[in-house]
Amino acid sequence: MYDFIRGPMVWISIAIFFGGILWQVFRFLTLSQAIEEPKLKRPAGLVAEVPPAGVGGFLHALKLSIFKTSPGMIIVTSVFHLCLVMVPLFLLGHNILIERAIGFSLFSFSERTSDVLTVIFLFCGLFFLYRRLFLPRVRIITSGYDFLMLLLATAPFITGLLAYHQLFDYKTLMVLHILAGEAMLICAPFTKFVHMVYFFAVRFSVKGEWALGSGNRNW
Amino acid sequence: MFKKNTAGVDTDLIKKRLDSRKAKMKLSLAACAHCTLCAESCFLFNARDNDPTYMPSYKFINSIGVLYKKKGMVDRAALQDIRDVVWDRCVLCTRCYCPFGIDIPEMIAFARTICREQGVFPDFEKEQKHAG
Amino acid sequence: MVKAKRKPLEEIAEAISTYGKVLTVGCGGCVSVCLAGGQREVYELNAELELTFKESGTSKQLGNYTVERQCNMDLIQEMDDIAEGYDCILSMACGAGVQLMAERYPDKPVFPAVNTVCIGVDRNLGMYEEKCRACGECVLAYTGGICPVTRCAKGLFNGPCGGTNNGMCEVSQDVPCAWVEIYERLKGQNRLDDILKLQSVMQWQNQLQRTVVQPKYEKRYYK
Repeated sequence: MYDFIRGPMVWISIAIFFGGILWQVFRFLTLSQAIEEPKLKRPAGLVAEVPPAGVGGFLHALKLSIFKTSPGMIIVTSVFHLCLVMVPLFLLGHNILIERAIGFSLFSFSERTSDVLTVIFLFCGLFFLYRRLFLPRVRIITSGYDFLMLLLATAPFITGLLAYHQLFDYKTLMVLHILAGEAMLICAPFTKFVHMVYFFAVRFSVKGEWALGSGNRNW
Repeated sequence: MFKKNTAGVDTDLIKKRLDSRKAKMKLSLAACAHCTLCAESCFLFNARDNDPTYMPSYKFINSIGVLYKKKGMVDRAALQDIRDVVWDRCVLCTRCYCPFGIDIPEMIAFARTICREQGVFPDFEKEQKHAG
Repeated sequence: MVKAKRKPLEEIAEAISTYGKVLTVGCGGCVSVCLAGGQREVYELNAELELTFKESGTSKQLGNYTVERQCNMDLIQEMDDIAEGYDCILSMACGAGVQLMAERYPDKPVFPAVNTVCIGVDRNLGMYEEKCRACGECVLAYTGGICPVTRCAKGLFNGPCGGTNNGMCEVSQDVPCAWVEIYERLKGQNRLDDILKLQSVMQWQNQLQRTVVQPKYEKRYYK
């Protein structure tokens, strides 16, 4: 059982993960379509307005963005997602195993760095939990599913941290860690974690006021 | 077990409507991470003292979300509740922001369409705010 | 819906230059939809005004609020208390909204921050086309759904003038001749005879303020 989970199951979950992502991208492409943009001639006498100094700048844009209204959330979620991606990818423990499996791995952070980043990540997770429990505006649309998803996202890190520090029974924790990681990979494209795909797909290519970049797709 | 109460509502028609935009609706409801970052983009949320029932995500989850979850098997009272959400709490100014790009106004407009088809819509004449 | 465009910043800054406390009021109606005067535009305008006044060294207190519609008194009244604390109001609503605001707060100057352009349609994100000039005597039934008041440079009612040139208007080669389009449209529907229905001259320009009363309410308001 253990050998299956740490062996073939890992590749299966990764395959499901990428397969699921591809399917969601495909779904997005079929549900949306590229629209031709009209080309207009600038009418005579229409002078482009020159905004006051500082308007085009990054800080100015930040002031007018959601960073101004919810700075805490934006900072925390950015750190959370950065760690979520970087820590597993550049973890020494993972890379050793990967190197043994396919003969090649990415560079690794020092173990201390990964440790610190994991703890920071878990504090971000706690912030999210706090929001879900204590902010009325989040509570009103929260259901059990949200808590489950938060657990799913943080479980690999919690179990990983505990295992690395050799607290509790190492073998059990490793099994839980691997299972948690696989569960997260499998579930990701089919639950609300699909936002990892749609954030980029929609914000970059769908036309809209908040679009990043000039996409021309429409649903 | 219990026959779902669907008094006064043509549930087949609702189901047909829901099917017509099923994929997009499912996607919007699934991709919503319940992050509430859409709140401040709604001027009504700001003007009503940050009342969470004016949050765009709350509005579309409690209108189209309800219709989707119940697969259209709702009764007239539920439709009236949905009507209160999508008409009293939203003016369809279409400026709400979602970090994942969910088209919230479309979902609200969709809910309005379904309500209208069932004959549920605000009686502007009776409810019209008469200018002083 | 009504389409509007924000005024140049200098014009707005000039109008409010002598007032220390300015309340910028947005509208959740037409100007929100056409990205001219909604809540976000209020924030952007205030940010730009702040920068402008900082450059010139004047200090101003810029407040902001957005109402559902500025064209209905009941929907404006929620901001009575807020408006008290300001010297003037900068309204981002269409002309109708600005005027109603001015009526509600007669002791406070109310300045328009947008130019109301037309009744139009949404063509693309941020791009709107004028379609209607609210003449009050709609003849679209006879022109296949193309408005001769809006689309014809001369506002002709009975067909193209002699200046039509390869389907384009005398005024510019980029402007299609409305009457050519009307002709094609009616031909496609086999209704060319409609062009022959002579329309009496329209009296819509330079009229006194019009009031609209729905038939059900005529008895109530017309004594």
